[in-house]
Amino acid sequence: MIDNFSIVLSHGLLLLAFWLLTRRDDLDREPPPEPDAEPQGFGATKRRQASRQDTLTDA
Amino acid sequence: MRDLFFVGYLGLLMLMAFKRPFLFTLVYAYIDIIAPQRLSYFLLNAIPLSLILFALALLGFLVSDDKRDVRVSPRWALLLVLLAYCGYSTTVAVEPLAAQEKWSWVWKALVFASFLPLLLKTKLRIEALALTLVLCASALIVTGGIKTALGGGGYGSLVLLINDNSGLYEGSIISCVAIAIIPLIVWLAQHGTIFKPDWKVKTYATALTFAALLIPVGTQARTGLVCIAVLALLFIRQTKRRFLYLTGAAVIGLAAIPFLPSAFSQRMETIQDYKADESAATRVAVWKWTWEFVKEHPFGGGFDAYRINKIRYDLPVVDENGFDTGAVDRREIVDQGRAYHSSFFEMLGEQGFPGLIIWLLIHVGGVWRMEMVARMYKKRNRPDESWVAPLATALQNAQIIYLVGSLFVGIAFQPFVYMLVAMQLGLDTYLARRRNEAAWTPIRKQRMQAQEINPAS
Repeated sequence: MIDNFSIVLSHGLLLLAFWLLTRRDDLDREPPPEPDAEPQGFGATKRRQASRQDTLTDA
Repeated sequence: MRDLFFVGYLGLLMLMAFKRPFLFTLVYAYIDIIAPQRLSYFLLNAIPLSLILFALALLGFLVSDDKRDVRVSPRWALLLVLLAYCGYSTTVAVEPLAAQEKWSWVWKALVFASFLPLLLKTKLRIEALALTLVLCASALIVTGGIKTALGGGGYGSLVLLINDNSGLYEGSIISCVAIAIIPLIVWLAQHGTIFKPDWKVKTYATALTFAALLIPVGTQARTGLVCIAVLALLFIRQTKRRFLYLTGAAVIGLAAIPFLPSAFSQRMETIQDYKADESAATRVAVWKWTWEFVKEHPFGGGFDAYRINKIRYDLPVVDENGFDTGAVDRREIVDQGRAYHSSFFEMLGEQGFPGLIIWLLIHVGGVWRMEMVARMYKKRNRPDESWVAPLATALQNAQIIYLVGSLFVGIAFQPFVYMLVAMQLGLDTYLARRRNEAAWTPIRKQRMQAQEINPAS
């Protein structure tokens, strides 16, 4: 009885999850991410300064 | 009746998978964890289900997936090295027949774990895998939790769906895995998009977490209690209101003690008094034997090399109250073919020093890498990436709990854990690709790119 309840509950939820997944386009392909507003990661400060220099020169 | 249910159910899952081939991979994971062929009496027993599903998953990847998104990481390569090394050690194993038998399922777990990260190229796929792992384990956890709450259970006697001691159905293994997935349950309840975090999802997640905490009580596996303690420590690290958390945890812990079955309390007390415990004494003796064995065979003895061991150990005589009566009158116990009862010694004895090092690099490397990812994404602090750091931390916590639990249980090749490793690898490579796509470009370069696209401007 308890076993059957557990099987039906877990399997029912998994089935529902599968059905919901078939309706989602982002399962196979995602839109590209928003570009970073600032340089990130290694050497970010250096690149940020270089960019500021660029903007000043352009002005 | 059950047979027809499982056949119909698998048919439905596969029907949906034909629409979205990635789902074949999840069906394979389901079969690997639940093993529905073992729950049914005929029909499914006769079909090589795993093989068919793996072939379909591979075909789906080759035909419909965009291979340009595929990336690999050094730890992914280590999985392949471990696979090759284990394959080699099987050919020179000291117990060739037993080694062959273990190899027959280990290679499948490692091949699937290496294949999985190649497919995890969207956030939803990573989430879908996490949800599948949790829901599959929940089939065992829900039944175990309810039976324990109703007063059932006992060491080696809590039957989870079937009376079988293999895979996740073994008491110590499910105790460790049930606790290890709690961080993932919490993450899904907070950041899930398949089942959106509403009151129903949160209620179910809370109930499932509670059932998972009851599994070590029901199976009376001491490993489980150690895993719960580690989980509590890990949550302390994450929580902001530490004092409140500590007080709450202490109150709940103390309040729970009177409700625990006395058999559980007695068994847990043996953690302190391990010297007079046969199971603990055997472990120490087997570990000593393994150490001596690898000194002579630094490349290990292949799978199941423990079968050749013959160990002797003393067990102190204890009085009726369980106290050591003094070391004079000791009982000598001789044992043969004792298993390692520790994944670290399992790796050392079976695959030698190189195997242990590769295994540690894969698993401890996972803990380190997830820490790096969590820190990086907390620093990036982008709203669309708010799910990343908590998932990395959840996967890290699951890995730490597994590593601590595996100190006392031989689960070095547990397929479920390799799926967690595959999820870490997939998350890592997915994030690296997305970071690259989102990478900031200087204004000058942006203008140049715009000019290349539209030279007239």
